[in-house]
Amino acid sequence: MSIMEYNGGCVLAMMGKDCVGIATDLRFGVQGMTVAYNYEKVFDVGPQLYIGLPGLATDTETVLQRLKLRVNLYELKEGRKLQPAVLTSMVANMLYERRFGPYFVEPVIAGWDSKKNKPYLSTMDLIGCITETDEFALAGTCSEQMYGMSEALWQPDLNADELFESISQAMMNAFDRDAVSGMGAIVHIIEKDKVTTRKIKTRMD
Amino acid sequence: MAVVETYAGYGPIQAQRFSPYADNGGSIVAIAGEDFAVIGSDTRLTVGYAINTREQNKLFRLSDKTVLGSCGCWCDVLTLTRVLNARMMMYNHEHQKVMGTQAVAQLLSTMLYYKRFFPYYVSNILAGLDENGKGAVYHYDPVGHYERNYYYAGGASSALLQPFLDNQVGLKNMENVTKEIISLEKAVAVVKDAFISAAEREIHTGDAIMINIIDKNGIREEKFALRKD
Amino acid sequence: MASERYSFSLTTFSPSGKLVQIEYALAAVASGAPSVGIKAANGVVLATENKHKSILYEEHSVNKVEMITNHIGMVYSGMGPDNRLLVKRARKMAQQYKLMYNEPIPTAQLVQRIAMVMQEYTQSGGVRPFGVSLLIAGWDNDRPYLFQCDPSGAYFAWKATAMGKNFINGKTFLEKRYSEDLELDDAVHTAILTLKESFEGQITADNIEVGICDANGFKRLDPATVKDYLANIP
Repeated sequence: MSIMEYNGGCVLAMMGKDCVGIATDLRFGVQGMTVAYNYEKVFDVGPQLYIGLPGLATDTETVLQRLKLRVNLYELKEGRKLQPAVLTSMVANMLYERRFGPYFVEPVIAGWDSKKNKPYLSTMDLIGCITETDEFALAGTCSEQMYGMSEALWQPDLNADELFESISQAMMNAFDRDAVSGMGAIVHIIEKDKVTTRKIKTRMD
Repeated sequence: MAVVETYAGYGPIQAQRFSPYADNGGSIVAIAGEDFAVIGSDTRLTVGYAINTREQNKLFRLSDKTVLGSCGCWCDVLTLTRVLNARMMMYNHEHQKVMGTQAVAQLLSTMLYYKRFFPYYVSNILAGLDENGKGAVYHYDPVGHYERNYYYAGGASSALLQPFLDNQVGLKNMENVTKEIISLEKAVAVVKDAFISAAEREIHTGDAIMINIIDKNGIREEKFALRKD
Repeated sequence: MASERYSFSLTTFSPSGKLVQIEYALAAVASGAPSVGIKAANGVVLATENKHKSILYEEHSVNKVEMITNHIGMVYSGMGPDNRLLVKRARKMAQQYKLMYNEPIPTAQLVQRIAMVMQEYTQSGGVRPFGVSLLIAGWDNDRPYLFQCDPSGAYFAWKATAMGKNFINGKTFLEKRYSEDLELDDAVHTAILTLKESFEGQITADNIEVGICDANGFKRLDPATVKDYLANIP
C-alpha cells in the first residue's frame, strides 16, 4: 500500500463567483483501522487563507508546523499578511527542498487575493509542482471519485450557497465510495469579507 | 525476472516474460428502471497510451431482453462473449426457449468462476428485463461474484462514475427528496452526463458512447459523441 | 590620540561609546563623489558625479548607477570596489526572494537585507566595514521609495537627500527646493542642480550619471537624455 494512503483522507476545493470553498473529511486512520473522526486536514494560515494537506498525517503536521514558522517570519519581516499566491510559492519551495525525500502531502490552497480582489485556488504535488486553477482542485485517497463528481457538479460562477452545495455533494458522494476517507466533513466558504464554516454529518462507516 | 545469461561487461540479460493479460480500458454504466434498463459504454479501445480504435462497441445483445456490457482485456471479452453466446444457443436448443435475464446472470457467474485460477480479466455488467418485465442490472467481478443492483458502473472509469450514480440515481446524501424509481429520460441523461465527466479526466474513456435501451418493445440503440482527445 | 588605541579592533568600543572604524568608514563616504536622490510624486531619481581624472578615460563603460531588479536601482558614494560587492549581493537577494515567493522583492525588504549585510561587516572577524553609503530607489505598491544605507547598517527613508562630498550643502539646497508634488522630470532637473551646486568644472553628460525609477521600472538615463536635461540648465 502506498504511503499516501496509510492514513486516508481527502481535500476538495472549488472556485465560485467571488467566492472559493475548501473542504476536508474528518477521518484519521491507520490503514483499515479508524482511529479518530475529528481530524481536520484544512488549516487557516491567515485571514481568508486556507491550506489543505491530505496525505501522510505525520507529514501533514510537520509541514503545517514548518509552514507556520515561515509564515510567521514572513509576516514579522515584511509587516504584512500573506497573499495566497505567495503562500503557494512558499509551500512549493518548501516541498522542493525535500525533492529526493519528500513530505507525503499534496497541498490544496484556497484564499482571497486581496490585491487583485478575487478568489484564489491552487494545488501542487508532493514535491511542489504548482497548478493554479479557477475551477476545482483536489487531493487525497478518493481523488478519482472526486474528479468524477466535480466534473459533473462544478460549473462556472456558482454563488456561495450553490458552491457549498456542490462541494459538499461532490465530497460526500466521493468519499462514501472510499473506505479510508469520510466520517464527516468540514466546509469553509471564503468570500470577500467573510468565511463561513460548516460541519457536515455523513454516514460513519 | 529470471537471469538467463551474463555477458562480460554487459550485465545480465533478462528474459521477457509473456504476459497473458492486457488492459484495453473502456467503461460501462447501467441503470434499471421500473420497466426498462439502460446500458451504455464508451467506444474507445486502448493499450496504454495508444488508441486502437475509436469505434469499438462493448455492448453485446444476448437476447431481446438481455444486453451484456463487457470491458477490460479485450481478447478475454471476445472469448467470453463467444462462449456465452454458444452456451445460450445450446440452452435454446435444449429447452426450446430463450434464456431469461436471471438465468444468463447465473450462467455468466458460473462461466467466470470456472476459470477461477486463470480468470477472464473482464468487468461485466449485465442489463435487461427480468421474468416480471422489471429492469435488472447485474454486475460481476472477474471471477464470478455477482450482485443485482438498480445501477452500476464498471471498467476504467468506474471510480469516477460510481459516486455520481450514487448521487443522481441512488439519491444518496440527498435531503428532502422523494425516493422514486428513475424515469427513462432521466436515466439516459444521467448515463450521458456521467460519461461526459469521466471522459474529461480518464484517458482510457472517450470518443463516443453506445447506449442500449431495453424495454418490452425490444432494444433501441443510441450513439452519443464524447471528446476524442 | 586616545581614539587610536581603539581604532584597530573593529569590535572594540572606545570609552565614549563609539566604534571608530565605522566613523572612518563614514569619513570615507563623506570624501567620496557626491550623489543625490529625490523622490517625486510619480517616481524617484538618483544622480551622481562620475568624474574622470584623464581625458584618455573611456566614459560610460564603468557605471555607478546600477539596476538591482526591474523596479529597484542603486547608487553609492565612497569606494567603488566595495559597492560592486554590495550590488552583487543585492541582485542575488532580490532573485532569491523572487524564487521563494514568486513576487518581486519590496524595496523596503531589499534595503533591510542589504543593511543586514553591511551590519555583518561591522561585527565579523577579518573584515572591515564597507566604505560606501548607498542610495536605493524603488517602485512598488504603486508608489516610489528612496532609502539611504550607511556602513554601520543604519538605513533611512528620505524624500530627498545628498551624500558624499559637500553633502551638507546638497541637503541644504534640497531643503530649499523640495516640494511634495514634484514631477519626475522636475526631480531630475533638481537632482542635477544639486550636483551642480558643488561641482568643480563644467557639468556634462559624460561626468554625471542619472537613474530614474517609476511605474515602468528602473533605468539609467543614456547620455543623450542627460544632455537634454543639461540643456535646460543655465
